[in-house]
Amino acid sequence: MNIASIFKGFINRNGWGLGSYLLIAVGFWLIILIILPQLSMLDFSFRHHLPPPEMGGPKDTYTFEHYKFLALGAQGADQSYNVVDLGVFVRTLVAAFFVTILDLLLCYPLAYYLGQASGSGYTRILVLFLIIPYWVNEILRAFAFRIIFGDSGVINEMMMTMGLIDNPIDFIRDNIALYSGLGYAYILLMIFPMYNVIESLDRNQIEAARDMGAPWWRIHWRIVIPYAKPGISSGCTMVFMLSAGALAAPQILGGPSSLWFTQIIYQWFNQGGNWPRGAAYAIVLLTVCIVIVLSAMRLFKVKMGDIGK
Amino acid sequence: MKSQNLVLRIFLGLYLAVFFGYLLGPLIIMGITAFNSPGFPRATPWECLTFEWFDVLANDKRIMNGLKNSLIVGSGTVVLSVALGLAGALMLTQIYPKLRATFYTVVIAPILIPGVVLGISTLVFWDRLNIMLGFSGDSFLHNGIFLTILGQSTFIASYCMLVFLARLQRYDTGLTEAALDLGATNVQAFRKILVPFLMPAIASAAVLAFLASFENYNTTTFTFGKYPTLTIELAQKVRYGINPSISALAFTIVVLTIFAAVVHEVSQRRKQLALANGAPISAVGGSFQLPGFLRGNPAAIVLLVLTVGAVATISFASTYSPEACKVDVREQKRELQKQQIEKIQQQRQQQKLDKALQGPNIFGPDKSKVAPAPGAAPQSPGKGAFGGVFAPGNLDKATPKPESKIESPGKGTFGNVFAPSNLGEPAPEAPK
Repeated sequence: MNIASIFKGFINRNGWGLGSYLLIAVGFWLIILIILPQLSMLDFSFRHHLPPPEMGGPKDTYTFEHYKFLALGAQGADQSYNVVDLGVFVRTLVAAFFVTILDLLLCYPLAYYLGQASGSGYTRILVLFLIIPYWVNEILRAFAFRIIFGDSGVINEMMMTMGLIDNPIDFIRDNIALYSGLGYAYILLMIFPMYNVIESLDRNQIEAARDMGAPWWRIHWRIVIPYAKPGISSGCTMVFMLSAGALAAPQILGGPSSLWFTQIIYQWFNQGGNWPRGAAYAIVLLTVCIVIVLSAMRLFKVKMGDIGK
Repeated sequence: MKSQNLVLRIFLGLYLAVFFGYLLGPLIIMGITAFNSPGFPRATPWECLTFEWFDVLANDKRIMNGLKNSLIVGSGTVVLSVALGLAGALMLTQIYPKLRATFYTVVIAPILIPGVVLGISTLVFWDRLNIMLGFSGDSFLHNGIFLTILGQSTFIASYCMLVFLARLQRYDTGLTEAALDLGATNVQAFRKILVPFLMPAIASAAVLAFLASFENYNTTTFTFGKYPTLTIELAQKVRYGINPSISALAFTIVVLTIFAAVVHEVSQRRKQLALANGAPISAVGGSFQLPGFLRGNPAAIVLLVLTVGAVATISFASTYSPEACKVDVREQKRELQKQQIEKIQQQRQQQKLDKALQGPNIFGPDKSKVAPAPGAAPQSPGKGAFGGVFAPGNLDKATPKPESKIESPGKGTFGNVFAPSNLGEPAPEAPK
């Protein structure tokens, strides 16, 4: 079966009009929107930082300069590694990991409850409540957390009136606000994949296990969790990737001393004006995140096709 | 067994309360701040009920401009990503099986790629294309709206595709085949069979795409150029100086959202009821007035309450004026300030007095020992008659050795007053 006959069969099945729409749309999406921009960013990250007129000129050669900068820091710096940027990078990944775990622990019981008690009007209301915060702007959600956790925020004022503390606790500096805001932002992405899978679990399995005397934790450990694995992994993947790549919440809720890696990228683009370096940082973030996710999927034996169900 | 059930139930209730408190609490608090009069958004202390922030919001040119841009970008994104998502889903159903997994991975990847990366790659790609083609710096390839639509569609199309795939799974391909057998052309079969079947999915994909576009920040922040969307404007406002008009906007969005969701829920419910009874949908239309319908439908009740609430609020807002209350609060504040100033003045006088009295004692051995034990310090500042002595400034010099103080009584003029044993009790001779 060669390409020409595949193409012929495709056109036969869909007709010229529809067939060309499909080909053009998919081609545009795949090549122009997804693949070429990524490749171009990859290419760009290996270029020198040049003013526009010199682009394409003799100085426009390939270089590892930006990756070196991320790893080793500026030349002649005190440390032999770029401690600041690498530190931020590691902290971002670790924090994203903990946000993912937090969301998983918080959402699993609810997903199970909703999935098992599905259908009644009561659960529909609960689902509605779940969706409403998600429709509100990301910025506004982060802003709400600032109202709550700020120096003169609700929690501090309340604790001070109750006499629990004398001076406001700086939740922003302690990053408590940031973690709760990030966890909050992606709750829905954790809960719905799990809910969808658990909903299709046959209740008889659970009852059989219960009849045979399994305690509740073993029912979850041996039946529900293995069954819900695709949902759990797809939820975790999305939450991890999105919180590692979050920009709004760290910008609004982040403390003055703690940067998120995306903020550094943002600075290279908007304040530093060094686009190739920003692109190099973005490539590193993307690659490392993908490697982490893929190895976690390999570890838990989940396929890529399960994501997004 | 029964008691165990009860415990379980209590736990479940508690958990649900915590969960939804976490989920809805921030929104509720933000909503409250929209009606509080202080210039910085805060729920406590409550000062005055006011609606001025909605006025401020409506008169904010940048917000309104952002809203306009957001609507333009949103509609462009909806059209583009629904078209792309539909094509992707259809392609996936008929692609060569060996390629399917690869294809799926590539089109699903934009959901997982951080939005920042998508924004950067879009910006870099079109910028370089622009240079390559030799266009000037302000060609349409640099246009913020154009770039934003493309950047957002990259991943929103994947969302749409997932919606279509879910619907297509239930599609019976026999229907298309039957249509083709009966002599329909491909396009006819597509238009008359498949598209009507996909209509609900198209609608929900469009809504999803619009919402995702409207609230997107990470991608847009790199691509917006000269056309900041609402989210970008909001982010800048939140980062640099804010007033409660943002809360007012959030409140509006939340209320609109709830309203839309409830309307959707009610219509859904009505359809279900109709189907369950075997009646055509039109037959249950207008059942909204029936109390019997309300009884079984919490969503309708919520809708009713919301409507009544909205009407009441609007009529109240048109008659209520927060000015009087504001003046009151200002008066209170001034009073408070006055009191504080008086207090400080008194303290200063006391301090002077203390110094004058302590003067002869400066050379005495008790100079450093006069300070109270650190543990007792927080209660005293400003409250005791000898406020100044206990002021934080003095604490730095204080030796944190309570034992040494015990030796001192009787040596200074004030002797026992400063003895640690006195500090535990309420300070004597507190001014009024």
